[in-house]
Amino acid sequence: MPKRRDILAIVLIVLPWTLLITVWHQSAIAPLLAIRKVCHHLVKEILIIPERLTIHRQRLADDGTEARHEAGPATDSKEYCSQDKDIVEVVRTEYVYTRPPPWSDVLPTIHVITPTYSRPVQKAELTRLANTFLHVPNLHWILVEDSQRRTPLVTRLLRETGLNYTHLNVETPRNYKLRGDTRDPRIPRGTMQRNLALRWLRETFSSNSSQAGIVYFADDDNTYSLELFEEMRSTRKVSVWPVAFVGGLRYESPKVNAAGKVYGWKTVFDPHRPFAIDMAGFAINLRLILLKPQAYFKLRGVKGGYQESSLLRELVTLNDLEPKAANCTKILVWHTRTEKPVLVNEGKKGFTDPNVEI
Amino acid sequence: MRVRLKLKTVFVFYFMVSLLGLMYALMQLGQRCDCRDHGVSKDQQISQLRGELQKLQEHIKTSELSKISKPDVPAIYVITPTYARLVQKAELSRLSHTFLHVPRLHWIVVEDAAQPTPLVTDFLAASGLTYTHLHKLTPKDKKLQENDPSWLKPRGVEQRNEGLRWLREMGAAAEGKEAAALEEAVVYFADDDNTYSLQLFEEMRYTHRVSVWPVGLVGGMKFESPVVQDGRVVRFHTGWRPNRPFPMDMAGFAVSLRLILSNPEACFDGDAQMGFLESSFLQHLVTMDDLEPKADLCTKVLVWHTRTEKPKMKREDALQKQGLGSDPDVEV
Repeated sequence: MPKRRDILAIVLIVLPWTLLITVWHQSAIAPLLAIRKVCHHLVKEILIIPERLTIHRQRLADDGTEARHEAGPATDSKEYCSQDKDIVEVVRTEYVYTRPPPWSDVLPTIHVITPTYSRPVQKAELTRLANTFLHVPNLHWILVEDSQRRTPLVTRLLRETGLNYTHLNVETPRNYKLRGDTRDPRIPRGTMQRNLALRWLRETFSSNSSQAGIVYFADDDNTYSLELFEEMRSTRKVSVWPVAFVGGLRYESPKVNAAGKVYGWKTVFDPHRPFAIDMAGFAINLRLILLKPQAYFKLRGVKGGYQESSLLRELVTLNDLEPKAANCTKILVWHTRTEKPVLVNEGKKGFTDPNVEI
Repeated sequence: MRVRLKLKTVFVFYFMVSLLGLMYALMQLGQRCDCRDHGVSKDQQISQLRGELQKLQEHIKTSELSKISKPDVPAIYVITPTYARLVQKAELSRLSHTFLHVPRLHWIVVEDAAQPTPLVTDFLAASGLTYTHLHKLTPKDKKLQENDPSWLKPRGVEQRNEGLRWLREMGAAAEGKEAAALEEAVVYFADDDNTYSLQLFEEMRYTHRVSVWPVGLVGGMKFESPVVQDGRVVRFHTGWRPNRPFPMDMAGFAVSLRLILSNPEACFDGDAQMGFLESSFLQHLVTMDDLEPKADLCTKVLVWHTRTEKPKMKREDALQKQGLGSDPDVEV
């Protein structure tokens, strides 16, 4: 009997400690190691980068921000990660062609909502849009098709790009009483799709989550510069900037006073709208969208040019707008439109192989 | 007895302590970032480093993407004629976004201008691409006027020829390893309003003489394409004048640089009949049998002949008449 008791006692003592040690070892030490490795990896990258930057200092036509980046990390590196000399090799060339850029835990996510519909230039438009988005870190593309079902063309395209995406669809109801294929003229194009995306965001993200995000409505035929996305990333409520080729002008822009506040709109077409801005001219912080779950684009009874106002007036006042793009003096987005291709040689029966996807 | 009691309590005490320790460890595992208290300085450092790294990596990407590359992959020289109009900067911007993804791409931008314009100069400098900026003015009689239909006169002829001239100049001056690299390179004529997929460039990269593929939304059809049988091009599928020697669009073929350098007279003939521009160039270089079909034996569309609408400026024009036009210093 004493033997069994002894054995029991020994087991009771040893078992918890072995469990503790194995499990603790796995969980606690690993992050510490990872931190050290990450530390070195990052420091090595930062050390290498300034060398390359010095070569191109003359080429960069920007302001003095590069110099700052060069000087800082190189001198401060010794303070970081002084524990051990375990440096992880950095494969630079691989990063350069890794698209999209690796996801960062620090940058807010930009949720880009794009309504799209089937037409001959759709694949081309989405392709070049994807080529632009592939340069933007932490971008989440919400593509909403105006169709009954998600089309294989878009599904395949999204998958092949490698972007972080969400593929939704909702069909704008057509007025079948009218002859032909005309959409219900009272619902502006893309409205239902944008609203669906907003609803998706509200269902997916809760307002307590720490996920920082920015929501931007990007049509599939516009042209976006990469700088635009970095400008909108710092949006606190709603930020605005000029848009080229809208309203029959070279560009439309918010009017910004000396204090950096928006007080009006520099447009010819109805500048007295509450928000005389194009869909591509503003971005909203995700938190604001989640805070006001009733705010949607108005579906019916919206006068031409008032669609943006129908959403924005429920979210923000003129005073809260944040002007970007150097106080609204730079053009970072162009409202380009693609010509409808002439398909006259297809004839009635179609000349080309319909199985080839364009 | 007393000894045993003490031992028993010791064991019980020991057991409780170890049990508590185990539970504490398990709770530690269950929570994320609980080491916040311990590693706050480390995490801060990491975040800071990450942030800086992001910014620096962006600079790298934009400033020398094409320099860092696998050195043994053939270079692609893309010749793009461009001319000043409202959408020029937008077109070049989105084109550059596509090109930035292609390794070893050298962009030759030829402006239809007497001098290089500041818009294109500044744009190219900030683009991060490897580029050559040329300019060649189209003579007045060959230039399309405001209201001419786009098919009336061929466009970009002098500019493409200027690009070819520069390439030949570079070819003559190169020696040794550089010259060997040029032998492998490919030349592609890319208009600034078309749309290119990234796969296209990988298809054209290994061209021995002239490679061809389908082009979407051109020739009044969904796509034009060479017809391939047994791995050779036998004819062309096009709805308009299929009897041309090479009834393809400018975006539908690429030529190896070696072929261009060894045929110094081959260039685009601006006086050729409408639609014969590509043929005027290619017929000096290759026959239909020698064409290399790409894009899965010409069954996939990897490039689209999109055209951008001219933006409506009637309000701007009205304001200009009143002297209240938008600030001309703001570059659009």
